[in-house]
Amino acid sequence: MIKRVEVNYRGIFQKMLGKYIGSDIVQIATRMGKVAFSNGRYSDAPERNGIPCKYFAFVSPDLSEEELEAECGAKLDIDEADVSIVVDDTMVKGVEPWGWHGVRPINEKVREKGCLLVVSRHPHDHLLQFIGKKPYSYRLATLEGGASLAGLWVYKDDLTRERVLGALAAVDPGIIAIEAVEAYLLDKTKDARRAQAAREAYEATLRRTRIVTPEEGIDWPHEVPILPKWHEFEETGVVVRSVPRGFQLGPRGQARNDAFKRGTTKTHRPVVRFDLCIKCTLCWLDCPDECFDPTDDGLFDVDYEVCVGCHKCAAVCPIPECIVMVDELKFTDDKSPWEAYTKSPQAYIEWAELKKGKERIAYPHVTGQGVNITEGTTVPPKVAAV
Amino acid sequence: MEDPLGVATVATASPVWEREELLNGCQAVAQGVRLADVDVIAAYPIRPYTEVMDALSKIIADGQLDAEYIIADSEHSQFEIVKHASSVGARAFGGSSGTGWMFGFEALVVAATDRLPTLFIVGNRALDDPGAFGVEHNDAMALRDMGWLLCWAATAQEALEHVLIGYRIAEDKRVLMPMALAMDGAFLTHSQHMLKVPAKEAVSRFLPAYDLGDRRLHPDNPVSIAPQVNEDWVMELRRQNWEAARRAKGVIAEAYEEFNTIFGERYPSPYFDEFMTDDAETVLLGLGAVCMPARTAVRRLREQGKKVGYINLRWFRPFPTQELRASLGRFKSVGVIDRNFAHGSPDCGGIVFQDVRSCLYPLAKRPAMVDFIGGLGGRDLSIADCIRMYDITAKAARDGAPEECVTWIGLRE
Ligand code: SF4
Ligand code: SF4
Repeated sequence: MIKRVEVNYRGIFQKMLGKYIGSDIVQIATRMGKVAFSNGRYSDAPERNGIPCKYFAFVSPDLSEEELEAECGAKLDIDEADVSIVVDDTMVKGVEPWGWHGVRPINEKVREKGCLLVVSRHPHDHLLQFIGKKPYSYRLATLEGGASLAGLWVYKDDLTRERVLGALAAVDPGIIAIEAVEAYLLDKTKDARRAQAAREAYEATLRRTRIVTPEEGIDWPHEVPILPKWHEFEETGVVVRSVPRGFQLGPRGQARNDAFKRGTTKTHRPVVRFDLCIKCTLCWLDCPDECFDPTDDGLFDVDYEVCVGCHKCAAVCPIPECIVMVDELKFTDDKSPWEAYTKSPQAYIEWAELKKGKERIAYPHVTGQGVNITEGTTVPPKVAAV
Repeated sequence: MEDPLGVATVATASPVWEREELLNGCQAVAQGVRLADVDVIAAYPIRPYTEVMDALSKIIADGQLDAEYIIADSEHSQFEIVKHASSVGARAFGGSSGTGWMFGFEALVVAATDRLPTLFIVGNRALDDPGAFGVEHNDAMALRDMGWLLCWAATAQEALEHVLIGYRIAEDKRVLMPMALAMDGAFLTHSQHMLKVPAKEAVSRFLPAYDLGDRRLHPDNPVSIAPQVNEDWVMELRRQNWEAARRAKGVIAEAYEEFNTIFGERYPSPYFDEFMTDDAETVLLGLGAVCMPARTAVRRLREQGKKVGYINLRWFRPFPTQELRASLGRFKSVGVIDRNFAHGSPDCGGIVFQDVRSCLYPLAKRPAMVDFIGGLGGRDLSIADCIRMYDITAKAARDGAPEECVTWIGLRE
């Protein structure tokens, strides 16, 4: 028997978190007398900021190391997971790690009766409005918490790791048992607080797990591309035609690469108060992914399908409260915000302020300290009522 | 970065194994380098090799190894530094992957002709373009005619151990050849397993200090390496290189014997491992990590009563001609798994196939031979793929000859 666990994490920001969870599972399972090993999905690297990536752990109570390796280690990805862990809940909108892969549902690999374990502050039903339907029942568990984002080679030691291990023991004790998690953490760190965090997460997860039936979830809106056969490539297929150039003013007026949009990279999206904009062009200039489309009124629309949520625009915008980064899970579509604003400025501003709420999220640091949250202010509309 | 939960180890009490530790293939190699007490490391990043240099920089920073760590400006300089360090009597280590390996090739060629016993790790990677980080064996295979020792590790544990075995063979006065240890990118370099780390004391019993004797370049021992000799010397020196490779055969056997004596029966035979071949009629032969799915396929097919076996070829240079001839001559059909492609070669197969087929040519009774090109650019080779290869190879035995000499496995066609 083989148990397969995948950790879906955000490239760079959660790289160490994903790897450590995989490593911990192997060591805990080994202490329990099982055979285990762990690897990352190799094609995810070199990782880019925020890109959805995977780390795997494989555990077997009865197979030899070689058989386990042959079954799981000789493959680049898994066919099915007993538990798919998601350490940033915004990935429930789908994951697109690289070109030609398509936007895949987060529960793609979860097997029947398996479990999707999401670190999230949102209730199950909220998550299910983004998650694709499965033809069978599986379980959805949430572990209360935010995305523990750090930076390149650094790790935020905020107990997310220990809590995920505890939660994993709750959703599938056949992988690791909570007692073994506690003993491992105590032995390794001599820090009772860590073992206790795992235990508390274990208890909480037992209460926060529910069955998802085949009726629940959405019809997946994204197509999974079919890769061409060797003779279907253009001759000298190594030369790839570029995206046809094109530009016109207005939403989605710039030609973009449809084969790899990268929008699933973001944890936060920029919400723009067009009424406050002084048309300084900085967001448009500095956005590394050229997400801003100039409009005929001198404003800049955002194409959320391609925005990777890097926070750059919010950092460079000189006007307070004009561009604010907001939890991606507060949004259900990628429609043009400028169109909404032009249609009804008042309604758009109200909507934007509602989405913004009070929390202002600062740029994820490379320091390992993660995001900073401060309180924002509400700036009254600068437009005349129309 | 440092794991805040501490170092991932499990204590094991054994005089030859110091501890069990969760390591990936790259980290395993770095542990081998630490245990070999290497003096000079030159580094230049390219995936998948990069994590070897990362791990080594940490080992040095943590005070666990006293070595010069030089970051070069390119693979070519990197390999030159390793070669020169070796010539002054330093045990030197380098490594690379894919096109980076090829970029430094001039330095690799002269390391062999200068008879400098350095050790390089090759994290096998496709020779892009198009860009690909995944495994393909053509990079290391390019060494095959250059006077190097060349072998493949099948597991991370083997990779660690072959750093030690490799230095011992390369530095032996009867050999003095550079050694390349190849390992499959991703499947081996980046997979974490619980490994046994040998104890330093046991390693020092196995691996003597590097001693170039009076060939060492030093102000107190002035020598000139590689003068211009043209037609007067070259043929004789090529013949010497070959003689060294011939002597290496004996030294390799000794080294494994000694390794087994100290660390337990790890390696029944040095050049290749035979798996369930005793009464086999059909065998596959491959290099590196594909042995896991292949041997698992053998076990499954054996359950169905199929007489199949697997041969994990470890050493490619020197090529175990006599040994393979004796072994493979017993079977009705042999399938070779090539994780490489020899463009324009006879039958347009793989490099291993060409050598194995030519090795078997003098046999009066030759097995039917089939070649498989698969796993290129990091494409996976699964148990199911291996079963398919067994079916094709067994059919070649029944038919007396294969339908196709070369079959591509896992190709979208
Ligand atoms: S967050 Fe802003 S700057 Fe970054 S990709 Fe999105 S729109 Fe561009
Ligand atoms: S940076 Fe801010 S003020 Fe400047 S154009 Fe962009 S949204 Fe407007």
